[in-house]
Amino acid sequence: MADAPVALRDVTYAYGKGELARPVLRDVDISVGPGEIVLLTGPSGSGKTTLLTLIGALRAMQQGSAVVLGQELMGATERQRVALRRRIGFIFQQHNLLGFLTARQNVAMALELDGATGERARLARAGEILGAVGLGDRGESRPDQLSGGQRQRVAVARALAGAPGLILADEPTAALDRQTGGEVVRLLRGLAKGRGVPILMVTHDPRILDIADRIVAMEDGRILPSEGAAGAPRPLPPFRR
Amino acid sequence: MNVLARAPPAPPPPAHGALPWAGQPAGPAPPPPAAPSRAPSPLAALRLPLRLAWRQLRFEKARLFSAIAGVMFASVLVFMQLGFRSALFDSATALLAAFRADIFLMHPMTLVSFRPETMPRARASQALALPEVQAAVPVYLAQATWRSPENGSRRPIQIIGFDLEAGVMDFPGLAPLIERLKRPDSMAFDLRSRPEFGDIARLLHERGPFDAQVGNRHMEVVGLIEIGPSFGADGNVVMSELNFRRAVKERAASAIDLVAIRLLPGADPQAAKRRLAEALPGDVMVLTQPELVAWERRYWEDATPIGFIFMFGSLMGLVVGMVIVYQILFSDIASHLREYATLKAMGYSNGYLGRVVLSAALILAVLGFLPGFAASTLLYDVVGKGTFLPLAMDTERALGVFAMIFAMCAAAGLLAMRKLRDANPADMF
Repeated sequence: MADAPVALRDVTYAYGKGELARPVLRDVDISVGPGEIVLLTGPSGSGKTTLLTLIGALRAMQQGSAVVLGQELMGATERQRVALRRRIGFIFQQHNLLGFLTARQNVAMALELDGATGERARLARAGEILGAVGLGDRGESRPDQLSGGQRQRVAVARALAGAPGLILADEPTAALDRQTGGEVVRLLRGLAKGRGVPILMVTHDPRILDIADRIVAMEDGRILPSEGAAGAPRPLPPFRR
Repeated sequence: MNVLARAPPAPPPPAHGALPWAGQPAGPAPPPPAAPSRAPSPLAALRLPLRLAWRQLRFEKARLFSAIAGVMFASVLVFMQLGFRSALFDSATALLAAFRADIFLMHPMTLVSFRPETMPRARASQALALPEVQAAVPVYLAQATWRSPENGSRRPIQIIGFDLEAGVMDFPGLAPLIERLKRPDSMAFDLRSRPEFGDIARLLHERGPFDAQVGNRHMEVVGLIEIGPSFGADGNVVMSELNFRRAVKERAASAIDLVAIRLLPGADPQAAKRRLAEALPGDVMVLTQPELVAWERRYWEDATPIGFIFMFGSLMGLVVGMVIVYQILFSDIASHLREYATLKAMGYSNGYLGRVVLSAALILAVLGFLPGFAASTLLYDVVGKGTFLPLAMDTERALGVFAMIFAMCAAAGLLAMRKLRDANPADMF
């Protein structure tokens, strides 16, 4: 358990202050093992997204303990959190690609923070990863010249480019139709499994539950004790091992 | 659940087998080690944001051009204001700057040369007591009305009278006229006087020397010299001491306005100035020529709102330019908040994104300044010819204006950077 990429204990989080404080997470324990693909489901307002932003070091912790890729987030400085984000690949509902850059340049943006690689190496690597998501020939296209599915695949490539230790995805299929959505997450799954990168994905989409190693259901800021989500193909207990 | 029936998408084509992580069946591969995160070199830390800023600016051509136009507008405005200011001050002191002498004596109560306090003529002779003084020439200054020989309209003109042969005061074109100016009632007209005095050069060319009315007297224009109009006088005529007394009868010969002193070659002007100040009574002030020009200029700067007006105009130009650049940068950030937030989520720091915004501001400064500089150089030429003001582009002003535009854009960038705080990656999910 100690080397789990994500290990949260007793995480409690509330919006607002004092009497107006509205708790969104209560005593959440969750962990993601190496290479594990975990889907987080639950009604809106159940705290999934807040949990994801805490794990992604996008939000400061309030209470509890969260160790992500070896970094304790409770009391972490802004600098430590920014450094941690570089080791996490994010995929959002919208692709959020920079409209003025080509697909290849967008993917290379994930590599520019690493001073070890030069410009040529960055672009070459970006090209390789675009090839891996099946867009090897669209590297010079701008996002507005790509279809929705292609853009989300570029976003997948960008999330993977920096060789992240963890991928966080927030409803990556929400803006896509059923078929392209399925294709994108299966592509993501295939690439992540190949590299042994764990994925924590928030989703409402029942059609993609089959990609999960484990499904975690949330309600009212708590993790439901059972494996909830009926019909999941391979339900696993919330705590493996 | 027919989704399940779908074959998992084939990972990458076999051609990419070189990729160690691609195309492998899912297996218990160990997680890759965290990427070796080395901080980018300081050069890359500046170059990459600059490149990102340029790519973003370049992408939206209309926005880029309106920003460039805004900065260009500000540059032109500041150039014109500073140009006019310096041209007016230059022209205000044109007459004094045209004098050729080492040291001047002036009454300390004289605020400005076109309204001089007179001093005793004896001071010129007293100055000669110093061995290093080669010549001391009394100068008479007065304003009289000039009747245009073309249409008869009357305007004030500056009359300068002095001993032409002393060789102390020299204006371009004066030397060959000295013999003719010795004749009674003769004068030399300033070629660069405003055209309202009449086209003297053409008349002189057509008729040869001709009579014109100065004050209440007819005097003969025998030739042309070059001085240039100033604030106090739209035109100048130069004549001998004697002719000055004829033209300005009310002036006593013993009351002079200025003494121009030439020193022996090799004499130290500062030392001579100190000795003159000690030797002469308190009704004269001893000045070198730059000091005399500065004295005159100080009058126009302090006693008139001219300096303030042009500084205010420059400032307004800068404020307008800053607002335009700020608007452009702000809307660039506002319309790309999601993208900026994504970059933050990817591990880009606030500082990095701040450098992107500042780089954009500085790119706009350079891109707007260059055409602004070109347009101002052109305008200086056109406007200078139209207004007879000495407008010219000089390196010092160009650098100064560039510094101002640079600061203006940087300030706009710093203001716009505050908007970056709204790009909160936690709101992205």
